[in-house]
Amino acid sequence: MRVLVVEDEKKTASFIRKALQAEGFAVDVCHRGDEALAVAGSAPFDGIVLDIMLPERDGLSVLRQLRQQQNRTPVLLLSARGAVNERVEGLNAGADDFLPKPFVIAELVARVRALGRRGSESKPTVLRVANLTLDTISHRAQRGEKFFDLTAREFRLLEFLMRSAGRICGRMSIIEKVWDYDFDPGTNLVDVYVKRLREKIDEGFEPKLLHTVRGVGYVLKE
Amino acid sequence: MKIRARLTLWYAAILIVSLLIMGAGTYQEIAEQLHIDHSAHVWRHALNEASEMVLDVGLPAIALGLLGGWWITRKALAPVTALTRAVEQKHDRNLGERLRRSGNGDELDRLTEVFNDMTSRLDNSFHRIREFTLHASHELKTPLTVMRGELETALRENNLTAPQKELLLSQVDEIERLARIVDGLTLLTKADSGQIKLDFEPVRLDELVRESVADAKILAQPQNVQVNLSACEELVISGNHDRLRQLLLNLTDNAIKYNQAKGTVAISLSRTGHCAELKIENTGAGLPPELQPRVFERFFRGDQSHNNVVEGCGLGLSIAQWIVQAHNGRIQFNSKPGELTTVTVWFPMDAGAQEGNGKV
Repeated sequence: MRVLVVEDEKKTASFIRKALQAEGFAVDVCHRGDEALAVAGSAPFDGIVLDIMLPERDGLSVLRQLRQQQNRTPVLLLSARGAVNERVEGLNAGADDFLPKPFVIAELVARVRALGRRGSESKPTVLRVANLTLDTISHRAQRGEKFFDLTAREFRLLEFLMRSAGRICGRMSIIEKVWDYDFDPGTNLVDVYVKRLREKIDEGFEPKLLHTVRGVGYVLKE
Repeated sequence: MKIRARLTLWYAAILIVSLLIMGAGTYQEIAEQLHIDHSAHVWRHALNEASEMVLDVGLPAIALGLLGGWWITRKALAPVTALTRAVEQKHDRNLGERLRRSGNGDELDRLTEVFNDMTSRLDNSFHRIREFTLHASHELKTPLTVMRGELETALRENNLTAPQKELLLSQVDEIERLARIVDGLTLLTKADSGQIKLDFEPVRLDELVRESVADAKILAQPQNVQVNLSACEELVISGNHDRLRQLLLNLTDNAIKYNQAKGTVAISLSRTGHCAELKIENTGAGLPPELQPRVFERFFRGDQSHNNVVEGCGLGLSIAQWIVQAHNGRIQFNSKPGELTTVTVWFPMDAGAQEGNGKV
């Protein structure tokens, strides 16, 4: 997978590049908006990581121009402005995802990977990790022989974690996908819910499936 | 006492004194003309003449004078009243608007001009402070992003000892906290300068309340706090869905965080007159009365000695207040220390109901 990273701050660009390369992505980096347009037009990319604040030409205008040129490459917007309506503005301009700064790299990597998968994968209705299964139609969850009840929120949380099984889910993406919040609630809501979910799916079972990645989020894996 | 009343009283006193002098003078005059005849009858006559003149001519003249005086002072002070009214309308967001001047160059016109100069200087300073905060919070984000990213890169190294790892993780936590403070500051600064436009739509407040109560119940479990929804009327207001959710989560989270173990949080939503009233009560330690007015201030901490017990960015209630005010609502904090602490929010209902019916 080939990714274009557009970020004017050199250090930030550098660790994003390192992290993506470590995960096996091919990475191109540029530091200016106008430059980004030229590069994106010259070669096919599987995804673009685009900072909003750029010299010369800001990310949103680059994005609009790209879409105007019928360039459909999935775009992940990075924002340092952290405003309330910026997310909406970005998605309206044609972005596929949005990540406010300062972000967790693992989260950025997971989202870039999701960009590549967008639309190309059909969603299975029965999810399975080890001996844990979740039927997304009947909402029934089962580990081994044991069935358990989930509240609506727990179901969405488990579904999200199982669909991203093996990958780290950052707190921010859980908040976005499970709660539909566009703000950081500043509470330990996610942690408390995960703890409850863990009691249901992991207690009395080996191996444990739901793991904490400190400072980042959670991962469901064998 | 108003200047007008005071001046009129002084004026009345002056008129009465001069009338008395006049009366005394007249009495003297008449008495002198009749001084050949010294009988008591004549003296009485002079006295009658004089007092007759004072009462019949003097008093109506005083009344007329007073009325005229009252009218003149009123006219003279009218620009002051107008100026007072205009100044009363001033707040931190319309400092840029100038007061209208009469243009006749008198003292009050000059005062208005001086006042306008003062507010425009104030407006400039306010503006500069907001710009500064906005730039500062933006500038802070870049280094925070770099620090966060580099720490994470370092954490991926496998040759770290456990204490080293712990140190890095603790720094990640602190960066997270700092980032949250910077986010909150950015939001409030933008709100202050009117840069945030919220899209309003009809919102079922009761649904939002039920939803946040469900979350609150889970949040409250680690502390064994009981969360009750005592009333929840079906209510529609005109508002911004996301910001209202943020408000509810923010207030319920506070009610849990600042509660005692095994305490209770009671939430109710009801209609009072033309308002939707949301009440969130908790059995926490509360705040002494002298600190209560400051509770919505930025970075206000109720109990300095327990500064670090409860984590938070110190901006939660300021943000809550902004959200309520952006909805033309009112928020109130009331606490009986050791008994009950109540946060009450009122939202106007009429606009919402109208919009809900489609006749905006």
